[in-house]
Amino acid sequence: MSTLLKLRCGPLFLALVIIASSCGFAQEKADSTPPGEEQAGFKEFASLAQKYAGLHRKIEGSLPKLKTNSSPALIDARQQTLAEHIQQARENAHPGDIFSPAASEAFHRVIARTFRGSQGDNARATIRQGAPVANAHLQVNHAYPSKLPHTTVPPTLLQKFPKLPPELAYRIVGKDLVLLDVKANLIADVMRQALP
Amino acid sequence: MTFRFAALLLSLLSLAAPRQAETFKFPLKSGSVRFAVIGDMGTGKAAQYEISRRMAEARQSFPFDFVITLGDNIYGGHKAEDFEKKFALPYKALLDAGVKFHASLGNHDVPAERSYKPFNMNGANYYVFVKGNARFFALDSNYMDPKQLDWLRSQLQTADKSDWKICFFHHPLYSSARAHGPATDLRLQLEPVLVQYGVNVVFAGHEHVYERIKPQQGIYYFIEGASGQLRRGNLRSSPITARGFDSDNSFMLVEIAGNQMYFETVSRTGQIVDTGSIQRDVRIINPSQSDFERQQEHTVRYDHSLSRRPRWKSAASR
Repeated sequence: MSTLLKLRCGPLFLALVIIASSCGFAQEKADSTPPGEEQAGFKEFASLAQKYAGLHRKIEGSLPKLKTNSSPALIDARQQTLAEHIQQARENAHPGDIFSPAASEAFHRVIARTFRGSQGDNARATIRQGAPVANAHLQVNHAYPSKLPHTTVPPTLLQKFPKLPPELAYRIVGKDLVLLDVKANLIADVMRQALP
Repeated sequence: MTFRFAALLLSLLSLAAPRQAETFKFPLKSGSVRFAVIGDMGTGKAAQYEISRRMAEARQSFPFDFVITLGDNIYGGHKAEDFEKKFALPYKALLDAGVKFHASLGNHDVPAERSYKPFNMNGANYYVFVKGNARFFALDSNYMDPKQLDWLRSQLQTADKSDWKICFFHHPLYSSARAHGPATDLRLQLEPVLVQYGVNVVFAGHEHVYERIKPQQGIYYFIEGASGQLRRGNLRSSPITARGFDSDNSFMLVEIAGNQMYFETVSRTGQIVDTGSIQRDVRIINPSQSDFERQQEHTVRYDHSLSRRPRWKSAASR
């Protein structure tokens, strides 16, 4: 009876193994190649990020350049001036200007897949290890509080996110994904509850 | 059972307390590369000032030319007065003596620090500099994006094979401290590059303790995150720890002479809490090598000669 069972179950087990491994392969493949919808969302995001960077460069170009031996007071003053000019130019900025609905959807999907995938635990651990920030509600077009530490953005996520112009960087604050203007120390955009 | 308890107690004591032995001596060879290592120091509080005084004192008998910082250079606010109180003032004696600082950024630092002249970052998050036969790579572990990884790969690829390759950044790839633990996702991306291109030594901070990790895939890892901050008793017993110190603040002194690197870790009170030397063999980079083969290419000789009173202790402080 048991031999019969083994004979019958053997091919079934083999089939299950093949299906499971092919699903895993598909999962890994999907992780590295965003499907069409994600590509479209990320394309829109990249275009909006470039538009922001263009504005930043235009404003920065109109300011006096920093000298290599500038004092902290001068560095701070220049950053403030740059931030104020950008804030004025984006007076009506609000969440979703750069993380558009299509872009947000793409980010949500990539983040969820990464956290569910084989590197999920590592990504979570890296956020925990990097002194996560909780209870901070950042506002678009406001300064990133200088006393607020920067949580490490898991490199696995950075591998999958669209590349940014040098003026911008991703930040994780609590469960929010933040787009930071690094030179002006301004919140360019926020995607709330981006992390699971 | 009693024996096990005694062994456990002994191992815990060896982690927590500095040991005493005879004085360690740096060779002070002509043309050697000499530097100090500090991390997580920018508090502006008493411990930072005491460590900086020890550093200036140490420099009288161990004349180091530069200091590398492992991030969290300035905690809290980043106004002009913060740079003064948390950096320029505590290290004034060293800065006045012409000692150069090369900073890396931690999670409490702000991008504006890149432009602060005394940090010698020249506006960049990550950069490379060469001293003698050692090549230093300052990395930004807050943000290890593909661009930075590509940059590191290309820099390591073109580096002189006979140079020491030393990376320093904030978040440790290996750690036995309770507060944070290792940055495993960062390790996943970074370690293969470090191993493939023959990086010899990595310095990191973030954990507010000192820890020397047993070589991992042929690379020597040090954590020095207690040069201002301190998390007393935060190290746990771990098979990867070669030596740990978590009962006081500390900094490191390093000399590279030819294929030998000598190091010494000094506490706030002047105790030498770890010391040793690393023999570097010039490696032929072969990515197909097994981990074991890579490990075999390195030999290390740890000279645990520890002293209660360092040889450079000044007459005034005796």
